[in-house]
Amino acid sequence: MTTSASTSPLFTIHYFAAASTYTTKNTELLPAPLRLADLFPELERRYPGIREKVLISCAVSLNGGYVDQNEGGDSGLGGEGGVVIGDGDEIAIIPPVSSG
Amino acid sequence: MTTQETPPSLPAHLDPQTYPRTTHDAAKNIHLTLTYTPLDANTYLSQTSSPAAGANVLFLGTTRDTFEGRSVSQLSYTTYPPLALKTLTEIAEAAVEKHQLLGVSIAHRMGTVPIGEASIAIAVSSGHRAAGWRAGEEILEACKERAEIWKREEFLDGGMEWRANADRDAEGKLKSSEAS
Repeated sequence: MTTSASTSPLFTIHYFAAASTYTTKNTELLPAPLRLADLFPELERRYPGIREKVLISCAVSLNGGYVDQNEGGDSGLGGEGGVVIGDGDEIAIIPPVSSG
Repeated sequence: MTTQETPPSLPAHLDPQTYPRTTHDAAKNIHLTLTYTPLDANTYLSQTSSPAAGANVLFLGTTRDTFEGRSVSQLSYTTYPPLALKTLTEIAEAAVEKHQLLGVSIAHRMGTVPIGEASIAIAVSSGHRAAGWRAGEEILEACKERAEIWKREEFLDGGMEWRANADRDAEGKLKSSEAS
């Protein structure tokens, strides 16, 4: 897949805390559409080791609401249903919080 | 193109120019503030004051100069307002309902917070003191557990760490075990 064409569908992904340190990015654009169930594998492909070291303790939000990556794909593979991240969507990787 | 490369623009939620982010629910007298400027306790106390209140409780969480014996040189906070304001609203509404509060104000500072300055302020008002004390503590604990805000500590020895108030399980959900 290429992102060279300016019309390529893209979604925004924001990284916080340990996720931003690991990726060395606060935000980036990734090719859409992408099944939510494929998000962590895709990030692992781009940032080897991130799943075990960071993502395992992270939640995910889609357009300002939490989503369950396992939703609609109990087997985790080849499910017909499940959430798809589309063009213009906004994903945020939410590590354990530390306010106060 | 001859134009200069512009640096990648900062996402809005990391740009101090887009702050303060505030919400105000007049019916429930709930004020929420995310700001890059110093917190002013009197502001939050006046937001929650009421002639019907017999108790006005203020909590200020201030930045400490050590973490487990290591000297901290500087702390900074980032947030994701779409989630943080939603979560803070849920926390404040639950406290108003449970403790019949007359007002709640929750403010959190973002960016670098010098040692000894307030990073979080919580003001509540209630008819009687017991409800105010309890609500103030519950709101703080809920914020620390749930609000989408992250603290980074930089140490005098050069290290840097993102803090986590509580551990999440493999699904990203909070464990019930209490953080110290």
